[in-house]
Formats: sequence, structure tokens, C-alpha cells
Amino acid sequence: MDTNKILVAIDGSENSKRAVEYVADIVKGCRDFEITLLHIERLPDRDVFPEEDAWKKECVAHRLKIESFLSENKKMMAEYSIPEKMVSTDYMESCDSPLAGEPSYCSRGTSIARDILHVAEKGHFDTVVIGRRGVSKAEEFMFGSVSNKIIHSGRDCTIWVVQ
Amino acid sequence: MSESVKQILNRFQSDAYMGRQGRVYTDTSDFMRITGGDVIVFGDGHYLVLRDEVERSYGVEDPKYWVKRCRHLESGERRLLKLVFYEKFFLRMGDIKITCYRSPRKEARILDLVRGDSRFMQGFSAEDEKGNTIRVLDVVKGKRLDNWIYGLDVDHKTYFFSYLPQILEKFIGACEAIAYLHAKGEKHGDIRRDHLWRETRSGDYVWIDFDYTFDFHENPFGLDVFGLGGLLLYIVGKGFYSQKDIIRIFGDEKQAPDMEPGDFLLVFKNRLANLQKIFPYIPKELNWVLMHFSASASVYYETVDEFLSELRPCLKNMG
Repeated sequence: MDTNKILVAIDGSENSKRAVEYVADIVKGCRDFEITLLHIERLPDRDVFPEEDAWKKECVAHRLKIESFLSENKKMMAEYSIPEKMVSTDYMESCDSPLAGEPSYCSRGTSIARDILHVAEKGHFDTVVIGRRGVSKAEEFMFGSVSNKIIHSGRDCTIWVVQ
Repeated sequence: MSESVKQILNRFQSDAYMGRQGRVYTDTSDFMRITGGDVIVFGDGHYLVLRDEVERSYGVEDPKYWVKRCRHLESGERRLLKLVFYEKFFLRMGDIKITCYRSPRKEARILDLVRGDSRFMQGFSAEDEKGNTIRVLDVVKGKRLDNWIYGLDVDHKTYFFSYLPQILEKFIGACEAIAYLHAKGEKHGDIRRDHLWRETRSGDYVWIDFDYTFDFHENPFGLDVFGLGGLLLYIVGKGFYSQKDIIRIFGDEKQAPDMEPGDFLLVFKNRLANLQKIFPYIPKELNWVLMHFSASASVYYETVDEFLSELRPCLKNMG
């Protein structure tokens, strides 16, 4: 049987934590799967900070927070008896990050959904999992909805939206 | 020793200025202290402050202390100086609260981007001696577009057939200007009625004020698109219409067409989007574009290009 590759997109929120727990609960005891916990970096907008240093400090704080979140969720998977080797993490840097190295692909900051689907396609993932915030119709219009965009644009993969 | 205001004015032969002669400022950090009669010196320019800019809303004047109406002493031309003021505030749109920021850096960058493009206000930025980014803006000689439209003394039907085709054509040009910003990764940030002006001499539409920004991740241009929709609604309707206005137009409630919540805007629930119900000569294609901003819409425009792809054919049909 082929290995089922599962991509779980997380943003550091409680909703994304629930998505990770849901996946862990579903796959526990299963064989032939791989899980990747993916974060698309969303840095605070440079324009809203008067000083460059204050912005960089915030960028560092954001990265530390997310790295810790990724690591905690990976550990949490182990509590569901999911072997560590089945779980990996991926942190896609923002193209504007002052901390960026020279990534082969970076996020341009115009669509998280597109970045997630890019990773899913390039990595040949079978399943994409995402948490859902539950926004109003007006909020969806103004701010956009990552989960809705993934549902509408995702191709050649199964999509799980965890409420 | 540095020059006094009097010496500077004498040097530039600014004999027309008879008001207060204040202080010379090379550091604009404390902009509240800078007032009429002071001179701001930075870069290669001397700017005589005439007064603080004011924003007028509902007959009330709200001073903008960080924006100074000035005369550029070297050229004698009027200029607006926007001094550095970082502000975080909440914009309420219907039930939605949006965190907005004022960013001199963003506005300075856009001024560079749109230099020579008459669809945008013109100016440049330079730093004072403390590194504050001052934006030096040409004054747009004209009127707010909405005020100009409101002032056209014709009924809606006459307006619709005699004026709107030309207005819509220019508005499409203004939308293309916003699409250009988006293509360059920039957003206007505050598209509303008082930020699109009509230049008196040329009749061209000019966007002003680019210093607002906000931190939307999935739909960075959503607020701009929404703003364009609101402007289009005003332009097509020659105003906004609440339930009360509709009753006034039809004389009494019984004569007025039945309205449903879905006929009104999604965000501002008291503004009619379904204008065809009160102005039946509005073509269904144009009304359809407006209805994308209504509470009954199931699909939204995500980009200005999507919006324009449905708006442009409406103009053709009106010709």
C-alpha cells in the first residue's frame, strides 16, 4: 500500500492545534503515513513599525513562538503513539523576512492558501488539513478565508477542514 | 547662527506674508508646536507654515496637526507637508473592527512609485535633521469627486444618461490605477469617497492619501476592492440610499418597492446596493456588479481585475 502523505497547515492558533489533534486521533494505530506540520510565515507588516529594530524584534519573537508551537505539536503526536519519524515540520519563510536565508521557495505574503497548495503539490501530498476560524460572510469578503480558498482551489488531494 | 523667520522671508521676498513670524524648525518631531508663521527647513527647501490642515465631516472641523498647509518659499507654490505621526486606530465597518495604522514610510514609497502618474497625488519625501520622513505634496486643485457629483443639479435619470457614462469611464481609469498599485504589491489602504478627487482643469480623477495600512494576510487587497465597490455605488446612485431615502423618493411606504436585507450592502446594512429597484433603467449588468457587494452575494471580487472585467462591459453597453 502507498504511503499516505498528510500536510497539516498550522498558524499557531487553537484552531490549528485542534486540527493537529484531530489528525493524530485519526491516524493513531495506522501504518503507512507521513505527517508534515507546515507553517507559512506571516510576519508583522514592516510599515506599521516606526523603527526597523522594533520590527526585527517582533519578527524574531514570531519565529520563536511558531517554532515552539511546531515542536510542541510534534511532541503531542508522540502522545498518540505516533512514531517521531512519521512526523516532520516545515517552516516556509516570508520573502520579506529579515531573518531569511536563501530558501528555494518563500511566501510572497499575498495568499497563505496558495502557499499551502504549492507545498502540497510539490510534495505530492494526498491530504491537506486545515483548521477553520469560522468567520462571518462580511469578514470573509474583507479579510479572505484560507480554508475556503483551499476548498475551492485544491486539486488532486483530499482536504480536511477541522472546525 | 541660523536665520530667523524674518530673515528667511526677506531673503525670499515674501512680502505678501503679513502674519505671525514664528520659529524656524529643522526637527519636526514635535509637530504639535509647529504652527502658522513658522518655517520648516529641510532638504533644499523652506516651507512657510500657513495653518494646520483640517478634515471636515458633518460640518465639524477636525484639525490634522501633523499635516501643514505651507508655501514653498523657493517657488511660491502651495504645498502640503505631512509630518511623521504613527497612529494605530480601529476602523469600524458595520460590525467589523479593523486595526489600521498610519505609515509615513508606506506613503513615501508610493509617492516614489507613482511619480509622474497623474492618476495619483504627486509629491516626494525627504528627511528632516532628525530623520523624520516628511512628505511634500502638491495640492490637488479640484473637488472631492463625490461632492462634485452631488453638486450636479440634475435628477437621477438625467444624471444617469447624460453624465454617468463619462464619469464611469474615468472611474474605471481610477480603478486601473489601484490595480497598478496592487500589481506592484502596494495597497491604497483607505479607499473612500473623500480620497478620490476631480481635478478642475483636466477633469481627471486623482487618488490622494496613501498612508493607511493594515495587516490582512489572506486578502491583502480586499479592503481596497470593497472601497471601490462603495465608490461605484455612490457614483451610479448619485448618492447612497437608506430605507428612509427610498420611502422619501416614492412618497410613502406603500408606493416604495419591497426591500429585503439582501438588497443592501453586506457591510453597511443601511445602504441600498440593489439600485435597480429604485432606478429601473439601470441595466442588469451594472446592477449585478453592485450586487457583488450586497448581503445576498455568494461570490465576491477578490481582485480589482475581476471587478473591472465585469464593469468594463457595462460602460460599453451604456455608450
